Amino acid sequence: MYLDEVKTILIDVLGLGAAGQRLQADSALLGSLPELDSMAVVSLIGALEEHFGIVVSDDDISASTFETLGSLTDFVAAKLAA
Amino acid sequence: MASAAAPAEAFFLDAAPGRRFCLFFPPAGPCRGAVLYVHPFAEEMNRARHMAAVQARALAQQGYGVLLLDLHGCGDSSGDFGDARWDTWKADLALGAAWLRQRLGAPLTLWGLRLGALLALDAVRDAAFPVARVLLWQPVQKGSTYLTQFLRLRTAGAMLDGSGAADAPPSGTDALRSALRAGETLEVAGYDLAPDLAAAIDALAPLEALAPACPALWFEALRGAGQAPPAAAAHAQEAWRQQGVALATHALPCPTFWITPEVDASAAWLEATTAAVCEEVAAHAD
Repeated sequence: MYLDEVKTILIDVLGLGAAGQRLQADSALLGSLPELDSMAVVSLIGALEEHFGIVVSDDDISASTFETLGSLTDFVAAKLAA
Repeated sequence: MASAAAPAEAFFLDAAPGRRFCLFFPPAGPCRGAVLYVHPFAEEMNRARHMAAVQARALAQQGYGVLLLDLHGCGDSSGDFGDARWDTWKADLALGAAWLRQRLGAPLTLWGLRLGALLALDAVRDAAFPVARVLLWQPVQKGSTYLTQFLRLRTAGAMLDGSGAADAPPSGTDALRSALRAGETLEVAGYDLAPDLAAAIDALAPLEALAPACPALWFEALRGAGQAPPAAAAHAQEAWRQQGVALATHALPCPTFWITPEVDASAAWLEATTAAVCEEVAAHAD
């Protein structure tokens, strides 16, 4: 449900441009997007926090969260539902 | 029309301690003003370097003399990042301002990006040297929040290289803050962060409390055309206006070039900045 919003933020923060539009729920992020370095991860978290009004804790910064676009979206949805 | 700009001059300024690398873009034609760039923190400085140089050249073509100075422990200046201190950086700005005053004798615009904007505003508050106005690019809202985000680079780095195992050194920001308070220098994303510098950033007043005594140009980068500026920025801008700051705000779509260098897409940002800097001076010339 939040997939498109998360995808748009991901594209904007990482500067993926048109290529980013091809990302789908099962698209791998971690280890697949060279743009996703530590600065991009921190910036992405900040953008998600701001856009969705959520608070991300250090423990949330894990490989399972950033594995795919779908897992990141699920993470956001879980935060919003909490 | 703009005259052809002279080539940039690279040199070192003697400072305490060591010396600072400087890149000066002399004004084309009659000098309209001096600009001193205050670069952002750690890796953001490197990523934004190209944009800063392109903007400096554009302003030079419009008659501004622009000095890009690498702060102590940064870029090509002497010292290691771990030696850097907030007060030394402010002294570096005074040094750059004095050099510009001697060279151009023109009113000074302090131009700060991200944490550099807070450094510029903190320097204006000290009033150790005259500043005619500030130009803020995406100012950091709060030093303590910024420090948390910087420390988070270590958490994110541990995740990315898969070393977030139980026996890895603690990477949570609370543990890192405790280590800093205990006097430990921390390596974060390849930068040694000294406890003194971290404490100074942590203790900075929030943006809303740093209203300058001079006019201000404030640029916020939006992720998309339909986006509103962050609420925190709008809140600080309102606080400044209530305190009587002559503030011109600009918010336009621009990639986060201090994180993801993407210069072509930022032409509108550069042009808007050049126009705002020139316009403001024209308005004040009466």
